[in-house]
Amino acid sequence: MCDTCGCSITADKGQSKIIDVHTSLFAANDALAKVNREHFDKTGIVTLNLISSPGSGKTTLLEHTIDALKDEISIGVIEGDIETERDAERIRAKDVPVIQLTTGGACHLDAAMIHKGFHRLEKETGGDTIKLLFIENVGNLVCPSSFDLGEHERVVLVSVPEGPDKPAKYPRAFISSHTFVVSKTDLLPYFDFPVAEVMGDALHLNPHLRTMTLSSTTGDGMETWLDYLRELVAKMKGNNNLD
Amino acid sequence: MHEISLVQGLLHQLKELAKEHKSSRIITITMEIGPLSGVVIDSFRFGFDILSADDDLVRGAKLIVQIPPVTYTCTECGHKETTVGKKPGECLKCRELFLIHEGGEELMLRQVEME
Repeated sequence: MCDTCGCSITADKGQSKIIDVHTSLFAANDALAKVNREHFDKTGIVTLNLISSPGSGKTTLLEHTIDALKDEISIGVIEGDIETERDAERIRAKDVPVIQLTTGGACHLDAAMIHKGFHRLEKETGGDTIKLLFIENVGNLVCPSSFDLGEHERVVLVSVPEGPDKPAKYPRAFISSHTFVVSKTDLLPYFDFPVAEVMGDALHLNPHLRTMTLSSTTGDGMETWLDYLRELVAKMKGNNNLD
Repeated sequence: MHEISLVQGLLHQLKELAKEHKSSRIITITMEIGPLSGVVIDSFRFGFDILSADDDLVRGAKLIVQIPPVTYTCTECGHKETTVGKKPGECLKCRELFLIHEGGEELMLRQVEME
């Protein structure tokens, strides 16, 4: 940049030289995410990255999903939290392979953590037969949306008690996701949560979003969610048989 | 977001570049930060000011931030609207509400001037 007028003519700078770069600051993460995705593709593992605020019911949804699908599909889980093994213990009680990643303060998971974590999952738990892998991200609607983990589908959840303005306030989580789930719909009678309006806000940000509503406790809407998962697993199986 | 850690990533890249080009001082850094990247430019600058002050390679360097335009395509009539500003609330032609964006998520190091 020319010091006199700010134009972009770069010649005649004496000793200095101009280097054109074009590298994303996420380049290192994105490269590893690509490796992860290729590995999941090759081994036929559908991978979902669940992101939401803390307390939206991600772990509860996983517990109920495992109960419903365990005999049908081989499931594995990578739990991400800042501290504690609590979520992994809840999943372990369901008798499926699980490992807990504790970030020790970091507000999101990244592709390197998933890479290491998945190998741990394979080794420690004999999870090499997994066909459906859930990654439960750190509860946070901001940072996880910037980090590709190598997942096939990113699912963003908002629970009814959180209020209707999450898509408008946290757009990136919705722009970068494939699927939007409104959870805890059994609480709709007690909260001001206009579902259609919230879905409209989310679709406004990302018209490609697949949307669904469910309650893990009553089972309402669970079939749509389970069918979505079954469809992903069937599609992956189809792709791999073609190869 | 976590702008300081993103700046740390930038400084790491700059160190690699300086080594590659045998440079000991960086004068200007040009970044492209898309309006949909989730990165707060003021926080990024703040992080840069703090971290660069402690670093011989980049101390006093000028950080230029360019905001690339985003193209919004109407899902109904296909009309395209390109802007560096806010997302249009609706299609300017047919008033459809659903618009698909192209670009805007960049967080790119574009150019470095060094000596």
